[in-house]
Amino acid sequence: MSSRAKHPKKEVEEALRYAEEAGWRVSVGGSHAWGKVYSPYDDEECRCGEFCIASVWSTPKNAGNHAHQIKRVVDNCTTRKRHLQAAQKKAVSE
Amino acid sequence: MEYEFTLKFKLPMADASTSTDSLVERLGAAECDDALVGVGQPGRVALSFTREAKSASDAILSAIKDVLRAIPGARLIEAAPDYVGLTDVAELVGVTRQNMRKLMAAHLDFPSPVHEGSSQVWHLESVLRWLAGRDGSYPIDQRLLDVAYITMQCNLTNEARRLEPLHHSRIRKWVTA
Repeated sequence: MSSRAKHPKKEVEEALRYAEEAGWRVSVGGSHAWGKVYSPYDDEECRCGEFCIASVWSTPKNAGNHAHQIKRVVDNCTTRKRHLQAAQKKAVSE
Repeated sequence: MEYEFTLKFKLPMADASTSTDSLVERLGAAECDDALVGVGQPGRVALSFTREAKSASDAILSAIKDVLRAIPGARLIEAAPDYVGLTDVAELVGVTRQNMRKLMAAHLDFPSPVHEGSSQVWHLESVLRWLAGRDGSYPIDQRLLDVAYITMQCNLTNEARRLEPLHHSRIRKWVTA
């Protein structure tokens, strides 16, 4: 696990770890903002666009909702979906 | 009630060189802390809201107001979910894409897309309403339907600023007759 600071909200911290496990990078810094998450797919096929870099609040209005929003961005990443599908196909054919 | 929706904005010239970090701080100070702010595209911000409000229109309009308070002059590009393909609808409703395809092929009264080309695009609201009207075999979340209706109103209103009165009145006579 990385040595970055932990997010004060348990649910958000858990979502950040979920993102990190999917290869996202987490950077810390800000005031209202706690930090940012960066998509690992810095390529031209990436269609997630705006949410490839997303800002994480220090004290979101609702920590559970914020955690859910972060996880959804990770899950919706089109490049990641494609990689997962390719991996599944490979697993089936093997 | 909690409403989920996404708003995408083009930044005004005045903020073309403002750092994304300070824009995010301004959004945080303007009560957009119920949104995930995406800053992955230069010159744009996208906010994925989960907003508590009495109605979908209160939720979406107050969110637009909050963003404009933080970033005066920002231009709404799109309110989502509104323009969707079949895959998007399938995901939102929780059925397979094939299932949606079959439904579309089997029913002449399936809503017409607003665009048909290399891809097909619908207003989400039209498809949800059609599905909701089918004997309950596709349970549709009323909040999603409400959101889709308001995002469509936002996008149509936003597009309408391109209308040119002379053409508009001549076209309307035939197109909406």
